[in-house]
Amino acid sequence: MKVARQRDHWQGQFKAMASPCEILVDVEQEAEARLLCEAAEAEARRIEQKFSRYRDDNVVHALNHGAGQPVTVDDETADLLDFAHRCHEISGGRFDVTSGVLRRIWKFDGSDAIPSRKQAKALLPLVGWPQIKWDRPKVTVPPGMEIDLGGLGKEYAVDRVATLLADRAVAPVLVNFGGDLRAVGRRPGNGNWQVGVELPGVVDSAGLKLDLGVGALATSGDARRFLLRDGIRYPHILNPRTAWPVMKAPRSVTVLGDTCTEAGLLATLAMLQGADAESFLADQGVKNWVIR
Amino acid sequence: MRSAIIGACGMLGLGGATAEATEVKTAILGYTEPDRVTAIEAIVDGQHAFDNGKIFNFRLVYDALTGASATGAAPSSLAQTFTRPSGEGSYRVAPGETPLDDTFRDTRMALSAGLTMPLNRVTNFSFGLYGSGEYDYVSLGANTALTRDFNQKNTTVALRGAFFSDSISPEGGRPVPFTAMPDEGIEKAQLSGDGSKTVMDLGVGLTQVLNRSTVVHLNYTYSDVNDYQTDPFKMLSVVDPVTGDPRGADAYLYENRPDARTKHVLFGRVAKHLGRDIVHLSYRYFTDNWGIDSHTFDLTYRWNFGGGKYLKPHLRYSDQGAADFHRSFLVDGEALPEHASADYRLGDMQALTYGLTHGRIVGDGHELTVRLEYYVQSGDSHPAEAIGVLQNYDLFPTVDALIFQVGYTFDLME
Repeated sequence: MKVARQRDHWQGQFKAMASPCEILVDVEQEAEARLLCEAAEAEARRIEQKFSRYRDDNVVHALNHGAGQPVTVDDETADLLDFAHRCHEISGGRFDVTSGVLRRIWKFDGSDAIPSRKQAKALLPLVGWPQIKWDRPKVTVPPGMEIDLGGLGKEYAVDRVATLLADRAVAPVLVNFGGDLRAVGRRPGNGNWQVGVELPGVVDSAGLKLDLGVGALATSGDARRFLLRDGIRYPHILNPRTAWPVMKAPRSVTVLGDTCTEAGLLATLAMLQGADAESFLADQGVKNWVIR
Repeated sequence: MRSAIIGACGMLGLGGATAEATEVKTAILGYTEPDRVTAIEAIVDGQHAFDNGKIFNFRLVYDALTGASATGAAPSSLAQTFTRPSGEGSYRVAPGETPLDDTFRDTRMALSAGLTMPLNRVTNFSFGLYGSGEYDYVSLGANTALTRDFNQKNTTVALRGAFFSDSISPEGGRPVPFTAMPDEGIEKAQLSGDGSKTVMDLGVGLTQVLNRSTVVHLNYTYSDVNDYQTDPFKMLSVVDPVTGDPRGADAYLYENRPDARTKHVLFGRVAKHLGRDIVHLSYRYFTDNWGIDSHTFDLTYRWNFGGGKYLKPHLRYSDQGAADFHRSFLVDGEALPEHASADYRLGDMQALTYGLTHGRIVGDGHELTVRLEYYVQSGDSHPAEAIGVLQNYDLFPTVDALIFQVGYTFDLME
């Protein structure tokens, strides 16, 4: 953890969730800033450990290894599953936390390893939120299926950390985990936060310079992650109903919203609209940046 | 779709909605007392949060009331005839029945608007205006408040003030207190002009976060009401000291209340999160220089099922001691007191409310609530001072009411 004084605030930096993480707090004392940044890091690590799919000691592992038996989950996980259920409903099935199994055949490593349509079709029976039996607080995952909350995890962590710090500090806070960010608490007298956002992999991107008061920003898409065969680019975003990439998806979509989770979800849903991403975003009335 | 998404994000309790947002709450409420008043009320409550932290709110209420209301006159072993407040027409009340004036009919429109603005990180200032009008009553008011957070926002102190100016110009005029109800077609003795009164409220509040799950709120309000507070439609029977029936002539006198009233209200509430559920318990103590004091306990339990669904049972109990000048009737031959009213609302009474509210998220993240409540109020039906036939009658009939409300809350997006 590095804590440094900037012109009119303190900045803490650490790495978590495979991203550079940055905390800006508008407090006077270094000791207070350090305590807040440490609390932020602890919360980020707690969420990462709890919901990472790469661990075998957490709730996600327990869910996915329940052998078709019901698993009782804690309130926080239950809230996320309620949320996932609602998102599936709102998006007409486009947003689906069970689509992680598609990674078994899709590895977006810049190669030309495109799976066959047959392979994709074979996986489809293992994708579909409605097949998960969710009866709060019990969840039953059929054998072979997987729940992955990673698609929500980083934005959720940003919001959790931001609200935690704002409550504790009674001071304006900006939380930035690899470009997904949230500002809480207006800065009287000091004006807005000036933040620069990298858009990953966008060639010649000078990044995004933002003057942010209160709100959140999230980006979906990573232009470095794709497959290319016969001159056709297969973007990193998969349609859970076809097990196939959304072929006309933008390279990235960045959305400004009230919370990072909201912004992230809108960005992801826009990507899933493919060629219609821009008109979808226009309908939502949110400020956005789409890169094709 | 965005409002649905914001609604879904709300399930995670991640704050937000700090940018520009407009929330509108609407409700339709039905209130019915069997054989008495029926009211329908429509409420629109809007709030717009500006990007700069200011919040504008407005509220529009429309009520329509019809039915019968107790006049204050006592039941009798004889049939009783009452002149309508307008002086034109009359109605009869059968022996043993509680006299009710069935011409009670009114519509009321009330509008209020206010603005809250942050002065700095810990201080908010607000002010608002209020106006309401009905057929015979106009009320205009203004209010202001200053709140300040201390102790890392764990403590909030609020100072509030409000001023109202009301005027009443009842159908048939304002009767001279303690004059007799005239027979049909004869003009009553009237006070000149409209009745007016002023209300000044001053309050101080404290909200304290005790721990992660408990918040305590305390409030004290001082209220000073001056000028005409008599109800021009209410009267008292003057009864024979032996028989208890109304005396032969001038049997019904218009009531008379003091024109100065000072009220004190002490209010305390505890909100506690129990896992996902929330329990609210409150106590309110009211006392005034009319001699009324009351204790009210209110308990709600919000039972959250997840996904925005909840059930909220509600229980409320209140116990009120009568105003010094409350009388069920006056006795012929006794000196008139300085003030007197037989209005049951100023009497000794206990009231119980049982209710249940159900809320759920529908459609695009909108909230639908349905509330059903039953209210029952009772007092001393057979007071010791009852004379003659009055001992046989219910002098404080139980009033019960059914309240049904449907509410719908939604966000307006640009």
